[in-house]
Amino acid sequence: MSIPPGFRRLTETVGFAAANGPWFEKVENGRSVRGFVVGPQHANALGIVHGGMLAAFLDSAMGTAVWHALGRRSVTLRLSLDYLGPARVGDWLQAEGEVVGHDEHVARVRGRLYGRRHDVLAGLGAFALLSRQRKLRTGS
Amino acid sequence: MPADNPPDGFHRVDFDGGRPATFNSHIGTLYAKRGPKGTRDEFVLAFRVQPHMCNPVGGLHGGMMMTAADLVGTMGGGTLSGLRKFLPTVSMTFDFVAPAKVGDWVEGRVEVVRQTRSLLFTNIYLTVGEEKILRASSIAKIPSGEGQAFGKARLDRSAKVAAERPTS
Repeated sequence: MSIPPGFRRLTETVGFAAANGPWFEKVENGRSVRGFVVGPQHANALGIVHGGMLAAFLDSAMGTAVWHALGRRSVTLRLSLDYLGPARVGDWLQAEGEVVGHDEHVARVRGRLYGRRHDVLAGLGAFALLSRQRKLRTGS
Repeated sequence: MPADNPPDGFHRVDFDGGRPATFNSHIGTLYAKRGPKGTRDEFVLAFRVQPHMCNPVGGLHGGMMMTAADLVGTMGGGTLSGLRKFLPTVSMTFDFVAPAKVGDWVEGRVEVVRQTRSLLFTNIYLTVGEEKILRASSIAKIPSGEGQAFGKARLDRSAKVAAERPTS
């Protein structure tokens, strides 16, 4: 499975993201698209990607969309997901988010996770915006 | 890395029975407890928060919470409803109420809201002690007929059995 051109492997991931990677990202015109290749460790015994993995991946893409659109770090408050179709081992999946509205505290984000031929997961989320001064202590 | 050290009554869930690890094993280790029918603890899924389940700030990753809640909805909801087949999730909504940290023991419980011929509606809570950390609602599909064949997860009671075995 080859990675489409323009995608960079996310090497700064730790914890859950690192344990379930590798994840890839392409940033174009200020918008981010994330992708990963489905391995057996992402799937259930039927060879279908676990709903939890899809949820985690779309959540990360939607949070990244907030960062690119608003320049603010955020944490997920609420996420609504509709599972539209299965994805299988070997598939290349992509996810992206779009900020559809925000105020000082909360951003509303629409998200989409899809394979080469079909939509897999649709999401709508509310993300709490962290204050601009707040620094994330990473690497713990 | 903290030891899982599951409380009494919890057994490791063996999802793969020696086959290569699927997602449920990969993210684990997950534990379950089966209590008396109709009680709050009829089905409890649980895990000890480990670094590989966390985000860069050292908190339990939302993806791990959603994965556990999804499993509680389908495994637990299926158990409470007496449905012995694979229930694919159709839709879920998650509210991230509070964080959890490495070392916390997280438990998930499910309430069946309604069961129709083809759908199962459930509410799910993840808790640490008395504190709720995630509220979720789920709709799962109940496949017609026998449903898809699915490797049945089972509770690994061997550790407990070994501990109870007389040493003589």
